[in-house]
Amino acid sequence: MAKVTVDGRTVEVPGTANVLEACRAAGVDVPHFCYHPRLSIVGQCRMCMVEIEGVPKIQASCTVPVRDGMVVLASSEKALSARNATMEFLLINHPLDCPICDQAGECKLQDNAVAAGLPVSRTVEPRRQFPGYDRTDIGPHVIADMTRCIQCTRCIRFCNEISGTGELSLIERGGHAFVWTHEGKALDNEWSACAADVCPVGALTTKEFRFRKRVWWLDKAKSVCDGCEIGCNISIEHRDRTVYRFLPRVNLAVNDFWMCDYGRFRAEELNGNDFTRPILRAGGKARETHWGEALDAVKAAVDAAVAKDPASVLVLGSARLATEESWLLAQLFKGTVGASQVEFHPDLGPERKIKNPAVPGGWLVGREAAPNSRGAEAAGVARAGKGSALARLLDGSYTPEVLYVADAEFTSRVSDPKFVEALRRAKTLVVHGRRTNPLTEAADVLLPVASLAGKEGTFVNVLGLVQRFQLAIVPPPIVRTDLEVLLHLGKRWGVFDPQWTARAVFERMKGTVPGYAGLEWDSAALAGSDPSASPTSAYDVLLERRLSNPAEILASAAEARGARAAGGEK
Amino acid sequence: MSGGANTPVENLPGLPPVGEHGALSCGKELSFPPAAEARFQKLLTRYPTKQAALLPTLWIAQGEWGWISREAVDYVATRLGLSSAFVWGVVTFYTMYNRAPVGRHLIQFCTSISCHLNGAEEVFHACRKKLGDLKPGQTSADGKFTVIEVECLAQCDKAPAVMVNGDDHARITLDNLDAFLSELK
Repeated sequence: MAKVTVDGRTVEVPGTANVLEACRAAGVDVPHFCYHPRLSIVGQCRMCMVEIEGVPKIQASCTVPVRDGMVVLASSEKALSARNATMEFLLINHPLDCPICDQAGECKLQDNAVAAGLPVSRTVEPRRQFPGYDRTDIGPHVIADMTRCIQCTRCIRFCNEISGTGELSLIERGGHAFVWTHEGKALDNEWSACAADVCPVGALTTKEFRFRKRVWWLDKAKSVCDGCEIGCNISIEHRDRTVYRFLPRVNLAVNDFWMCDYGRFRAEELNGNDFTRPILRAGGKARETHWGEALDAVKAAVDAAVAKDPASVLVLGSARLATEESWLLAQLFKGTVGASQVEFHPDLGPERKIKNPAVPGGWLVGREAAPNSRGAEAAGVARAGKGSALARLLDGSYTPEVLYVADAEFTSRVSDPKFVEALRRAKTLVVHGRRTNPLTEAADVLLPVASLAGKEGTFVNVLGLVQRFQLAIVPPPIVRTDLEVLLHLGKRWGVFDPQWTARAVFERMKGTVPGYAGLEWDSAALAGSDPSASPTSAYDVLLERRLSNPAEILASAAEARGARAAGGEK
Repeated sequence: MSGGANTPVENLPGLPPVGEHGALSCGKELSFPPAAEARFQKLLTRYPTKQAALLPTLWIAQGEWGWISREAVDYVATRLGLSSAFVWGVVTFYTMYNRAPVGRHLIQFCTSISCHLNGAEEVFHACRKKLGDLKPGQTSADGKFTVIEVECLAQCDKAPAVMVNGDDHARITLDNLDAFLSELK
């Protein structure tokens, strides 16, 4: 540890920290572009100039390691005028057309120009142009506009150090330099949109979100990606009941600063319901109905079946349900109704990976395509193995009277008509669904439910961490969340109260569900960091103290740097 | 090439354009011949990391093939365990790596201050005109000459200075330009 005094405030920082981090730890604003807590230090942008006592010249604070007893003057006139000059140089070639730039509102050049720049531009010369390299594809998800690039090289370092794919490089030199790939190779890796995240300006933007919505209109909800079992912390960015994008939220234990493209571009899939009213199907004819009739029909079918044989009701949970929902499912069907078979099937998907230095091996790997198999298991829904009821149903040795499917997308096999045909052998098929698929088409009772954006609850991720996701947009009228459906259904047996919220269910179950004891719904541990700490603004995390744990990020950045130095940087 | 301001996103090309700053292809697979390979192996022993040997390795490549083609970039990148993009970034940073084939004689005119004051610009223009109205960097039709402008050759005392391939030539003026060129076979 080293004691550093910044503008009269003394802070203690790790010995491997740099002056920039010390300034931020002391709560002093040092504007910068190229520094990122997780990327190597290059001192490229020259924006973070500070004065250090005993050093004759001003220094780029990110490049200077701290020393015990160091006295830093981050806001001296000399430092401010140096930063002012850097800002002016950066703006010589940056187009001044923020109104037509999609980064406006989350642009660090904009922020720093306001905070550290001159109020007027002194340049009259035309801006540098990059014919052929402006506003064009650089990869499947990213659009590059090199006229806006300030050569901070964050994207290059991201591709070299985090994704390890090395697609990008700084081509040419000095005033002609620009970032590009080599020979028409695309910026195409599993995390390519993170390169747009780390870009402080509008040089790299994502194709999916570009010009869709001004960022200052977006509301942010803390959520958890349901694309795989890693459970990356995300911010669901929405407006007018429409989800526009996901951004990763910083979580040093899980997704660090990143998320994969697969998860990120699921965002708009959350919009819309294919059906908004319960549907009853009889004799091949479907009709819309109200919840009362639909749930009464479910209860009647279940009661009749259980009276004959408790094994004739098969309840299929899902690893996509929140733990609260799985718990209600287990309580209702196993406990109250007495159905003997309540199980879920983990759905293996393509392997997803997130680089995180806090994880042994450096990579967090998700193999299941659903976020919450551990939660479902903890809540009392059995993980189906060999000889499961579903397996017996599929091989024809078992035919349930009632098949209750709590998630129409519980496995990727639902798009297989043969699979659905087998499920259809049940006399009554009840399905929770949102998107039309062969299974919802076959259901006798189809219950419309909300997407991830429309509900709240907790997931247990691959590391066993309980993470809470919050409501982003209220689902459309009539549509209910899985939780509400189960509560209303439970009310028919007199065990649940529809007034319960996810939080109320959480409080009821936490004493009995393994891994939930002692957890607090409102705690920071469950909620994770604030959305404004997403990578687009991640490097402001330390400064603006938006995050609950800036010291933790600071320490982890310094520690990672120490480890790199010890390992002999290439 | 460019997406351009008004191109709808769905009409963008999907792959990044190569553009004028991309590497040219020489049209064949390259690998170091034995002598160059021996020099390369010796180089590797002199540096702590393979990456550190990049500049001299590119120099070997240029010595072998005359210029740095796309295939040369890929070959060097593979040999040193670097990404092609990184190698191309280095090639484009330095002016002494030729990014296109050059003539047998690469005539480099210094036009920095001392040579400039001694009329280097006029000699440069006269030389280009004489060799068939060559543009800077262009190679004459017979493949003999390429004329380029360079920064200081550290021959200020003998301005205007010219370098042909690796050799210095001092005091090249309008008067002795013809004689100078005729010496180059």
